[in-house]
Amino acid sequence: MRPSLRMTIGADPGEVARVKTALAEFADAHAVPAGIRRSMSVVLDELLNNTISYGFAGREGGEMTIAVELRTDRLSVTLTDDGAPFNPLDVAAPDTALSVEERQVGGLGIHLARRLMDEVSYQRRAGRNVVVLAKLLAGGRTAADAEDGP
Amino acid sequence: MNITTRIEHGVTVVGIAGNLDSNTSPQAQQALDGMLASGGRKMVVDFTALDYISSAGLRVLLGTAKRLNGAGGALRLFGLNQTVQEVFDISGFSTILAVFATEADALKGF
Repeated sequence: MRPSLRMTIGADPGEVARVKTALAEFADAHAVPAGIRRSMSVVLDELLNNTISYGFAGREGGEMTIAVELRTDRLSVTLTDDGAPFNPLDVAAPDTALSVEERQVGGLGIHLARRLMDEVSYQRRAGRNVVVLAKLLAGGRTAADAEDGP
Repeated sequence: MNITTRIEHGVTVVGIAGNLDSNTSPQAQQALDGMLASGGRKMVVDFTALDYISSAGLRVLLGTAKRLNGAGGALRLFGLNQTVQEVFDISGFSTILAVFATEADALKGF
């Protein structure tokens, strides 16, 4: 059986901390490399908080499910929420070449999420956003990454 | 997250250990604001014990760098692990902030 972890949390930033702690424990228990666990932690921080701030805006509550699965070649996390439709792959990349004075951090989180992962997919399914994130193990790189250079 | 501070040759060296993310950034912001308020103008941030940083943490660093620059000071950083370096590279922060390999490098000529 593949090692897995499943959590359901409400629209509360405090619960995002709980998810990251659980991921760290899962990574320790199953010897997931630190770099992969760190990248996934950053992306969970970005995407879960984004859903709380925007996906659930203007309503009471909201629910997100986080399903972590460790396969032989990858660590994958499926995020499901019943918030407003939001495809992280549709967001334009921010201008990262501006000076300190000109820079804003808005929009950076989604950009980080896309670039730190090896694979990101999105589906709107039965009134829910379903985002699947994957980080390949053993230094595996995707064809898209190879084109972008190191 | 845990924050430590010491003064080296008139430079405030701030060690941030653990995670600098949406949950811990308010506390980091408060600590750095406090150092600015007490007159620190040259700041070196030690990331040797930092596990990871998200955009919430980058926002704290950017705000601090802007205020230090505005006051005639500067912010320098060192000790980034591979993931933190990757986040800096993707976000463009490795070119807009002064990043050094070691504390000695960061303090040199500051």
